[in-house]
Formats: sequence, C-alpha cells, structure tokens
Amino acid sequence: MTQLKITPKRISFFIPALILILVFVVYPIIATIILSFNINPIPGVNIVERSPGFENYIKIATDKRFINPKGIETHSFPMGAIIHNVIWIAIHLPLTLIVGILFAVYLQYVRGGSIIRSFIFLGMVIPMIVGGLLILFSFDKDLGVVNLLLKLFGLGFLARTWTIYPDTALFSLILGSVWLWSGFSVTMYSAGLSSLPREVIEAAIVDGADFKTILFKVIIPMLKPVTLTVVAMTILWDLKIFDVVYAATQGGPGGASMVLALLMYEYFARLGDYAMSATVATVLTIIIIPVVIFWIRSVIRGEREV
Amino acid sequence: MKKLFKYRRTGLIGSPYKILVLNIVAWVIGVLWITPFIGIFMTSIKPFREVVLHGWWTISPFTFTLKNYVDALFNPMFSLSRGILNSFIIAIPSTVIPVTVAALTAYGFARFSLPIKKYLFATILFLMAVPQQMTIIPIFFLSKNLSLLNTYLGLILVHSSWGIPWITFFLRNYFSLLPVELEEAARVDGATDFQVFRKVVLPLAIPGIISASVLQFAWVWNDFFFALMLIFDPDKMVVTQMLPRLKGQYQVDWGLLSSGSVIAMLAPLLVYAFFNKYYMSGFRGWAMKR
Amino acid sequence: MAKGVRMENIWKIFMPKVIALKNINVDIRPGEFFVILGPSGSGKTTLLRIIAGLEIPTRGRVVIGDQVVVDADKGVFVEPRDRNIGMVFQNWALYPHMTAYDNIAFPLRIKKLPREEIDKRVREVAEALGIAELLDRKPAHMSGGQQQRVAVARALVKQPDVLLLDEPFSNLDARIRVTAREFVKEIQKKLGITTILVTHDQADAFAVGDRVMVLRNGEMQQLGVPEELYGEPANVFIANFIGDPPMNIYKLSIDHPMVKQLGVLEEINEDYKEVYIGIRPDEAVALPLNEEGHLTGTVTIVEYVGSRRYAKLDLGNSISMRTLLECRADHGDKVRIRVYKLHIFAPDGKRIRTLTLVH
Ligand SMILES: Nc1ncnc2c1ncn2[C@@H]1O[C@H](COP(=O)(O)OP(=O)(O)O)[C@@H](O)[C@H]1O
Ligand SMILES: [Mg+2]
Repeated sequence: MTQLKITPKRISFFIPALILILVFVVYPIIATIILSFNINPIPGVNIVERSPGFENYIKIATDKRFINPKGIETHSFPMGAIIHNVIWIAIHLPLTLIVGILFAVYLQYVRGGSIIRSFIFLGMVIPMIVGGLLILFSFDKDLGVVNLLLKLFGLGFLARTWTIYPDTALFSLILGSVWLWSGFSVTMYSAGLSSLPREVIEAAIVDGADFKTILFKVIIPMLKPVTLTVVAMTILWDLKIFDVVYAATQGGPGGASMVLALLMYEYFARLGDYAMSATVATVLTIIIIPVVIFWIRSVIRGEREV
Repeated sequence: MKKLFKYRRTGLIGSPYKILVLNIVAWVIGVLWITPFIGIFMTSIKPFREVVLHGWWTISPFTFTLKNYVDALFNPMFSLSRGILNSFIIAIPSTVIPVTVAALTAYGFARFSLPIKKYLFATILFLMAVPQQMTIIPIFFLSKNLSLLNTYLGLILVHSSWGIPWITFFLRNYFSLLPVELEEAARVDGATDFQVFRKVVLPLAIPGIISASVLQFAWVWNDFFFALMLIFDPDKMVVTQMLPRLKGQYQVDWGLLSSGSVIAMLAPLLVYAFFNKYYMSGFRGWAMKR
Repeated sequence: MAKGVRMENIWKIFMPKVIALKNINVDIRPGEFFVILGPSGSGKTTLLRIIAGLEIPTRGRVVIGDQVVVDADKGVFVEPRDRNIGMVFQNWALYPHMTAYDNIAFPLRIKKLPREEIDKRVREVAEALGIAELLDRKPAHMSGGQQQRVAVARALVKQPDVLLLDEPFSNLDARIRVTAREFVKEIQKKLGITTILVTHDQADAFAVGDRVMVLRNGEMQQLGVPEELYGEPANVFIANFIGDPPMNIYKLSIDHPMVKQLGVLEEINEDYKEVYIGIRPDEAVALPLNEEGHLTGTVTIVEYVGSRRYAKLDLGNSISMRTLLECRADHGDKVRIRVYKLHIFAPDGKRIRTLTLVH
C-alpha cells in the first residue's frame, strides 16, 4: 500500500512516545555509558574520586566478583559473575531448545496436550520473584520436589538444600530457570509447528520417512526462524537474569551464584559506587549487543518476507 | 479423537497401547511440572508446624487454615494487602498510558512514510532488548531531582516509557494487517488522520489493544527491579517487592512465604486465565512477527 | 451542484519502474456518467484513486469544478476529506464494527452535523436506495447486493460533487448484477451527479456509461460513446477487447487472397506490406453455398450463445473464423460467408477504415 506523506500534523502521532522514551530510556542509556567513564553527566550523583578514563573497566576486570581466576582454575565456585552468566547460557540454552522442540512436537499428539502446554507456560506468567522462591522451595531439603523425587528413586542420601552450597547453588538456579522459561520455547515452537504447511510433512510420510527423519530433516529445519528467535531471547534473558537470583540466593553463598545484573545492583545499593555500577551495566549491555543485532536482523528479514 | 486419528494415519506412532503409554507419560510429566505450584499452595493452607513435621503432601494429617494468608496480608512490617493495592495503583496507569501513547506511534509507523523509519524501527527493537540495569542509575537521580523518587508517579512514568517500544512494535504489526481500504474510505468520507485512527483503526484493533494491555499489565505487575530501585517507603512498596522481605532473617518461614507467593502471583494468573487468547497472541507477537 | 472533472497530463509511476498511467487527458462533464474500462492492471483504480486524493500523480493535475485539487508540478494537493467526493470501493469497505446506519451516518458525524439533520439525511438516502429496513444490521449480516447499496448510500449521503465507483459490480452474482446496474444508473440520473465508474467488464460499461474511456497499460486507447467503441474501434486492442464473442482479427500480407476477396486494397492509400483485418462474428454470416458471399469455408463447430447460433469455420491456410450461422449446416459442410462490415487496421494497430460492404 502507499504510505501517507509525513506532515507536521502527522509527526504529532510520534511526539508523546518520543518524549517519554527520550527522557526515560535513551537519555539514561547515554548517561550510564558516560558515567562508566567517571564523567558525571547526572546532577546529584557523587562519584568516587577517579580520573576520567577506562579505569573502571580495568578495575572491574580485576574484581573477583566479576571474574575470579582462582575459582576458574580450581573449578570451584565462585568463578565470578560473568562466568556464571556464561555457564548459565551454556546449560540453559541447549536444554531450552531441546525441551521446547520435543515437547512442542510430542504434545501435539497427546490428548489434552494444550492443557499440559499451559501448565508448562505458568512459569512465564508468574512474577520472576515468585519463580525464584519456587526454585528455592523445590530444592529445599525437606519440602522440595527435587529431593522428594530423589527419595522416591532411592537416592535419599543425596537430599540436601541445594541452593545453600557453593558447588550446587548456581546449577540449582539454572535448572530452575529451565523449568521457568521452558514455557517460552514450547509455546514458540508450538506456534511454529501449527503454522507449518501440513502437506510438507505428509509428503515426507508418503515418501516413507520415519519419525526421526521427519523431525530432523523436515520439522527442525523448517522451524529455523523460530529457533533463531528462541536462541536470541533465551540468551538475552539469561544475561539479564536478576529476580530469580535475588529471591533465591541473593547471589550467595559467598558469591557462588552472583550474576552481572545482581553485581550491578550490589555496586549501586550496597556500595554506593555509581560509576562502577554503571560500568557493570555497560559491560552487560555490550555483551548483549551482538545478540541484539542478530535478533534485529532476523526480525527485519522476516519483515521483508511478509 | 481427531488428533489421535491423524497421528495414527500418519504412522508417527504405532499401536494403541503405545499411544496410551505416551499419553500417560505426558501427563505424568505435566503434573510433575506444576508440583512446585501445588506444593507452595498446600504449604500456604496448612499450619507451618504440620508442614515441617509431615510435609505439605500429606492428606492426613491435614488441617486447613488461612492463618498464613492473614499473616501475610496484614503483616505489621510488609502488609501484602497494601502491596496488592500499590501494585494495582502502579500497574493500571502503567498499562493505560503506554498502550495509548504507543498505539498512536504504532499507527504512524504502520501508515506514514518517514525517511528514517528503518533506523527508528531498529532502534525500537534495540530498546526492547536493553537491560533495565542500563537505565536505572540516571533514572534514579533524575527521579530524585524531580522529586519523583519514592512516588507512584515516578515508577509509573518509568514503566510506561519502558513499555512503549514493545507495544509499538506489537501494535504496528497488528495495524499493518488491517485492511487499508477502510481507512481510505474514512479519509474520503472526510475524516482527519486522528479521526481515522480513533473511529476506524482503534475499534478494529481492539483485540490487539487488549493483547498489548494484558501483557503489559502482567509484566508491570511482575516487575521487581524498577520498584526495588525507586520505591523505599513500605507503604508504597508493590507486592513483588515486599515478598522477598518476608523471607525471614535466619530461617525461611515458608508458611508466610508460600501464602505471600500465592497472593503475589494471583493477579497475573487470573489475567492469564481470563484473557488467555489475548495473552498468548500478545506473547507470540512480542517475540516475533506473527 | 454537479461538477466536471478535468485531468491533464496525468502520469503515475510506482517506484522503481511500474508506469501505471501515461499522460492521461480527459474532460469529464458535469452530470455525466463516465466509465473507465480496461483489463486488470491497466491503471483504472490508480486513476480513480488519484481523483479521490488517495494517490498523488507523479505529474499532471486534476481539476474538480474550478478547483485544482492536485497539481504535481506546482505541489498543490487537497486532502481527500476536502474534495467532497463520494467513493464506493471495490470490496465496499464498510466499517465492520458499525451498523448500516452508523456506516451511512459516518461522513455526516465527521462533519459534526446536528443529530436530527444526520438522522433525516440517513433515512432519506436509505429510503431512496431501498435499504431502510437494514439500518440496524452490521455488514456481516447483509448480502452482497445489500452491502453494495449501503456503500453507495454512504458515498451519497454527504451530497458529493463527484461519485467514484471502483468495480462496484464485480463482487455480485451475475443475476443481481443486472439489477444493480440499473439501480446505479437510475440513481445517477435522478441525482444528476457526476459519476466515474471503473470496470473491467464491457457489459457493465455499456450498460451504464454515457461515455467510456478504454485504458490499457496506463494509456488511453479510445474515448467515446459505447456505439463508437463497438462500431469504430480505434485500434486492434479495442477491436479485440470489445465485443462478445470477440472479433476475428487477421494479420495478412497485402497479397493474401483474402485481402483481395474482401476488396480491401482499394480502400488503403499508403503502401503497407501487411494489414490487420477484423470481422465481428455478428457482422458476418455463414450461408448455403448457393448464396452470394465473399469467402468460402468449412464448418468445424456450431455453438449456441443465447438464442444465436455461431459457426466456427475453417477457411484453409489455417485461418479460422467465427460467424453467425443462418442455415442448416453441420460439421464438415461447406458454406458461403457474407461479410457486412470490415475493420481495417494499419500494421501498428491503428484503425484505417471501417467498411460497410454492400450487396
Ligand atoms: N501501490 C502500488 N505500488 C506499486 N505498484 C502498484 C501500486 N498500485 C498499483 N500498482 C501497479 O500499477 C498498475 C495499475 O494498477 P491498478 O490501477 O490497480 O490497475 P487496475 O485497477 O486497472 O486493475 C499495476 O501494474 C499495478 O501492479
Ligand atoms: Mg482495480
């Protein structure tokens, strides 16, 4: 269709949004970047005496809570927030994809599959703070489902409150986050599946392909756009993770489950070091940018195809 | 029935026996999946002593009590009833404002030719992905300087601004699928751009508007970080913010925490249940185009 | 009241390279029922949308009455809402969320007329179009014909200077189509409103049009009253496009025996090597061999169209022709062909002459 010529009156459609976004989103982003260089663009902030420059970035790189070489060497926690985030992605992403596609395909053929799907989706509906508490609850020694299951399978001796030990705290949270976030991938893949042309799958069946071949050679390749979205969104979610950790472990014990977003908050709230806090936020954003670009591209590509 | 038939005909799975097993397995997984919810709910309606002694899963002994709810709702320090009220006070305007504002912008995006539209669009996508942490420090001080810190209005403005990018993205996609002829008919009939928008586009886009509103409401309700940073007064705290504070210092008091969790997630769960269709279409539209 | 519409040197180019309209010049008279006819993709809708102001021409200008509503060269543009135009869209574009009443009232409400005035005018126009009982219904609960009337009512209620109709009959069943045409024509004559109708269907065009303009690939081919288009087509395209069954058209070299038999040579002055010869099936007849005629052929197929009978004839040299059949004849019979009217076109397709052959 033809687009209407822009006129001053038509520009007014954009004005309210523009003002709000400029004041409460764009300006703060820029100010945060500048603040991370120890230059104070925000009236009212008192930054610690440091000269302008990359000092904060150097400081953060040597902060044990950000990255802890000793922990990495000895394979023990804490390893530092950024490593924890990376581990989070490394475990969470593949699990999310597998759970997402398997359940989406499987539940298509199950009676009441849509009910089970909405069970799985509940994790996406509730406040993440509650999600964190539910994880805490599930890993509790006496009350938690996880330990109940272990006892059920005769592994009762393993039972413990998983979230309070440095070596298991992070993994508990990650598994918990798989549970919370699977609703996303299952829903996305289910939507993708239902929009696949039936004929293609049927043609494969007529051609004599078995289920495994159909899944790997037909379904999964055709769902590639969905996969791209799920990958991007999951990575972004993992990098930004905050509420879950805050509610369940506060980053503990001893920083064993510290993540970037929480580290930023620690600098801000507990230490009052705004410049360092801004630095962590900026680092977080810089890490996110490649993923965002990848996602933006895929959206814009999808745009052109329509 | 139809589904099973299809499935058999396609030969994806063989005998009726196998189908039965697969159905049962799926349902076992499904129930296991929501066990934490069941557990927290059971804990919330039992005396905590009983839970500690016998577990939340026992049917006998089973003493039904609402004490945990009363304790949570009327907690002397962090009264969740106040928290619920505050959450509503925050979430409702934080839904109405951005949906209204973003609908206008989305319409502009869908229909007006702008030389820099491609870049604006990419910017919007970028803003949808930026972490909240990246904006909060300047927002904190800005609010402080404008005396908006620790006020409902401040938090509402932040939530509203934060919601605009994704709602714009979502509604733009929705608007661009509406038939243009109706708008053209209205223009020939004498309507101004704004009249076209209000009298033709908005009524036709009601499902999309509901989807956006439902999702934005749930997200604002569920948000924790912005509230944590911008509200300190226990009387103004939202419910998600109070919840972790009920945890207790040394020993987790699951009695209080379980009822608090149920209370805090009730509103989004109800929204999800009653607006399911809209919620899901909004959710899918948030992550990708259609 | 009624205003004329003048289009001057209208060009429309859709970037990157679709030339939708090429230098259109037309002067539509006040009160005229003007039809734009052309195959799909010929630019009809684009032209109509330019008049409505929904599209801006790349070059040229449009004058309604004595107001220049768009002049691409001078940058003049009057918004659609300020042109006082009524338009009926191809799919009628009724607002699905409004009742028929609200649909019709819409243009008046936009003008903020007083409530009683609106009510009076909506009921008047609904009465006139015979849809008074439908006013409470929503479009989804109306038949195609009813929806069309509502759309026309909505276009007329604001008493526009010009009424634009884009393929108003194409979504209707063949049966209602005839009544719908009569109805539109009647209304137009009663109100004396300048009306421009776009269609790809020649039957529509000839049924309602005072004058018809034929478009092809964005170029105007011919403009005239229906009899002119049928009787003296300006070029091979129109000759082929108009008339049902279509005209038999042959591209023949000048020394082809058929050219001689039909006596074409005497009529051409320029020395062409080739000419197009056109014979309408309705202007030639197959007779028994003993009758006088111009050509001879063998019947291959006999067809019935309504009450008329046509024969498909084989004239040898892989030339075939469809004519009226006015004798008993069957597959394989030889017949004489008498031609009443002959259309001669130059090799570039332009008309040279239309001959009436006498006997
Ligand atoms: N918005 C547009 N963008 C690009 N090309 C267009 C647009 N609208 C129409 N066209 C092209 O212009 C030509 C004329 O279209 P149109 O006026 O709709 O024809 P008609 O109504 O006679 O079928 C067609 O080739 C069509 O593809
Ligand atoms: Mg058309």
